[in-house]
Amino acid sequence: MAFLHERLDNGLEVIAETTASAVSTSVGFFVSTGARDERDDLWGVSHFLEHMVFKGTVDLSADDINRRFDAMGASANAFTGEEDTVYYAAVLPRQQHEAVELLARMMRPALREEDFTTEKLVIQEEIRMYDDQPPFGADDRCRAAFFGRHPLARSVLGTTESIQALPVEAMRDYHRRRYGPGTVVLAASGAVDFPALVESARRLCGEWEPVPAHDRRVADAPRTPADGGLERIVRPSATLAYAVRMAAGPTETDPDRYAAKLLSVVLGDSSGSRLYWALVDGGDAEQASLGHQDFLDAGLFVTQLSCDAADADDLLARILDIYAQARDGGIDTREFTQARNKLAGRVVLGGERPRRRLFDVGLEWSHSRTYRSVADTLGIVESLSLDDVQRVLSTWAPDGPAATVLAGPDAAADAAS
Amino acid sequence: MKQTLFSATLDNGITVLGEELSELESVAVAFHAPAGGIHDPQDRCGLATLAGELCLRGAGDRDSRQVVEALEGAGVQWSHAVSTTHTSFSGAMVARQLPEVLPVYADILRRPRLAEDQFESARQMVLQNLAAIEDDPGHRTMSALRRIHYPSPWGMPTEGISADVERTSVADVRGFVGRHLQPGGMIIAVAGRIDWGDFLGHVERLLGDWQGTPAPAAALGPRGPAMRHVPHEAQQTHIALGWSVPPYRDDASYDVTAALSILGGGPSSRLFTEVRERRGLCYSVSAGYQTHRDFAMAVCYSGTTAERAQETLDVMLAEIDRLPGSISADELERVRARARSGLVMQQESSAARAGAIARQWYHVGAVRTLAAELDRYERLDVAAVESALAALPPRDLSVVSLGREPLEVSRGLPA
Repeated sequence: MAFLHERLDNGLEVIAETTASAVSTSVGFFVSTGARDERDDLWGVSHFLEHMVFKGTVDLSADDINRRFDAMGASANAFTGEEDTVYYAAVLPRQQHEAVELLARMMRPALREEDFTTEKLVIQEEIRMYDDQPPFGADDRCRAAFFGRHPLARSVLGTTESIQALPVEAMRDYHRRRYGPGTVVLAASGAVDFPALVESARRLCGEWEPVPAHDRRVADAPRTPADGGLERIVRPSATLAYAVRMAAGPTETDPDRYAAKLLSVVLGDSSGSRLYWALVDGGDAEQASLGHQDFLDAGLFVTQLSCDAADADDLLARILDIYAQARDGGIDTREFTQARNKLAGRVVLGGERPRRRLFDVGLEWSHSRTYRSVADTLGIVESLSLDDVQRVLSTWAPDGPAATVLAGPDAAADAAS
Repeated sequence: MKQTLFSATLDNGITVLGEELSELESVAVAFHAPAGGIHDPQDRCGLATLAGELCLRGAGDRDSRQVVEALEGAGVQWSHAVSTTHTSFSGAMVARQLPEVLPVYADILRRPRLAEDQFESARQMVLQNLAAIEDDPGHRTMSALRRIHYPSPWGMPTEGISADVERTSVADVRGFVGRHLQPGGMIIAVAGRIDWGDFLGHVERLLGDWQGTPAPAAALGPRGPAMRHVPHEAQQTHIALGWSVPPYRDDASYDVTAALSILGGGPSSRLFTEVRERRGLCYSVSAGYQTHRDFAMAVCYSGTTAERAQETLDVMLAEIDRLPGSISADELERVRARARSGLVMQQESSAARAGAIARQWYHVGAVRTLAAELDRYERLDVAAVESALAALPPRDLSVVSLGREPLEVSRGLPA
């Protein structure tokens, strides 16, 4: 396994993790733009633009793009998050050039008005689809409540209203500002011909005009709600209630980020964790979990609970007790070792698939210009100590101030009827 | 394409299959017992699921918690699944852990405690899952389609029905495990960085002296009505269509799945192009294939705003009708390319390969090599796909809608 890196004259970076024995090649464009880079009047534009990139260029139609990916046998798709928009394709090694070429051309989309109008309908369907599903908006509401005026408060999809109000010219302008060579990384993993990759990048992206950099860090820390109040969303047709709770945790540049992930496994993994044994194993809750998410300048411990609406308040209180007990009583060696072995297993298994590695390597480079091999990550996980986990627990207190949102049927009304 | 495959049949009827993937660090193992949901008695839908859950809650010398800790302490990503035909326990892990965890699986299969004091917890967990499914419109739609399309009991939901789970007792579970969790007909599949001789030795020591034959499945019953509307108060309406096609073990299934791939398999498919790209009617629309050993179903699915659901259904039906006589060589070449890369990329996942070899053994009684599968795709041609379509029109179409209002099907449906 080798890591290779090249920077084009216009600033675009090309990286690859090559594995000689791999039977596939994954390539992707990692654009450093997402929901946090949107102004209020652009809410949802990053994700909408990701859809529009598949609608064609001046000389390629949407049908051309779809047919070409399928003709390559590619698994091609894209996703948009708070900080990144990623376009990728996994192909057999002999298709590397064709896949890079198509993706590179797509990065300069036509953004035609008629496609924009049709695709608006698709985006609105996507918003409704998620809104009809658990956790029925509790995640977005919780993020908004936790982050307040911080840019991470914005949901990725936007709202049906914000999408309806968006003019095509605003998207074109956003694309010009945010898809410059300095904010794009071309990454590849698996069986990669790196000289050919750099050559493709030069030929296809070498003429992209640099655009001024844009500083994404904000001085304001996220506003952590002091009162830990609970906000409710009533969905009469829901069967269960769904709670999302966000408390502060280590950011992605914090050396404690891995210890935070290990702590989440101990306390709230989907099986074998403290929350699992206390709430899920006995069938009190359908799900009760804790996860750690990290961003450039913020980190989150996210608790998710789904259960009978009548039990939600009690179970949320029990979860906080479990966190408080861990903080006061600590973690024992046996559960620490079990969690570390689970994390290590995930690193090894995930590391076997070039497609998975593309995201790990591409996002890490895109955010911090660092590269970590599977062995490096495994080394970090295996060197974690019980002290590291205890330190995270005492520094961040997952039972501390948080935003909590509960969506579900109206428990009070149900009880009354 | 080089492939190292192994198989053995033990005297007690267990088939052991292996594939060595020496570039991987991991190994995946799966135990498939022929104890699926088709064996649920008529008023105990979900019994197989509840039985599988209880098997994990204490086995051999380990109590419920120790079973999970034995697996997770070794870093195993484990799972338990009950399908229509099988109860499966599986795990993926770093290869060196395999000898340590095989005895845990052997206990789960042979020595489950089925303890009274775990029964209520297991039942509550199954009921919680059923409540969560009520909030998953896509799952409910597909479940309703299987229920009306397949002959009973093949269409029953393996996850159970709340009222049936409520009346199930620990005695029901013990009876089920005794009748069905047996070595006869079990398939064990392992893939990844394996030493076959060593693995087979472990399996023989742990399971070789286990004896028993599972009870046969219930006879096929009738199908449901051709159309069903499920009332659901939400913004979107979900639509699912199904019709009978040949099962995987029939060679014509390659022609049919090629046609379904053209209809709704990828972004260049007819449904994606006409329903989403041209009309913007939905976010998700697709066609696919679900197979049992003796019968299979072509499935189309979409979810869209209630007001646009009728148009979506009409366009889906029009595309199904337009398919025969219109297959192009370019479209078929794209099917081939997608199959080719899909098959090759399976080799990057021990779990994917362990699943694939077990499925093939169940369906055709042999493991088809990747080379043979690739060759079959290379031999696809327009004439064969067209004749398969001509021979198999969607005569027995079943339609499900889930949403505020029922939809109209602009054609006669079978009675």
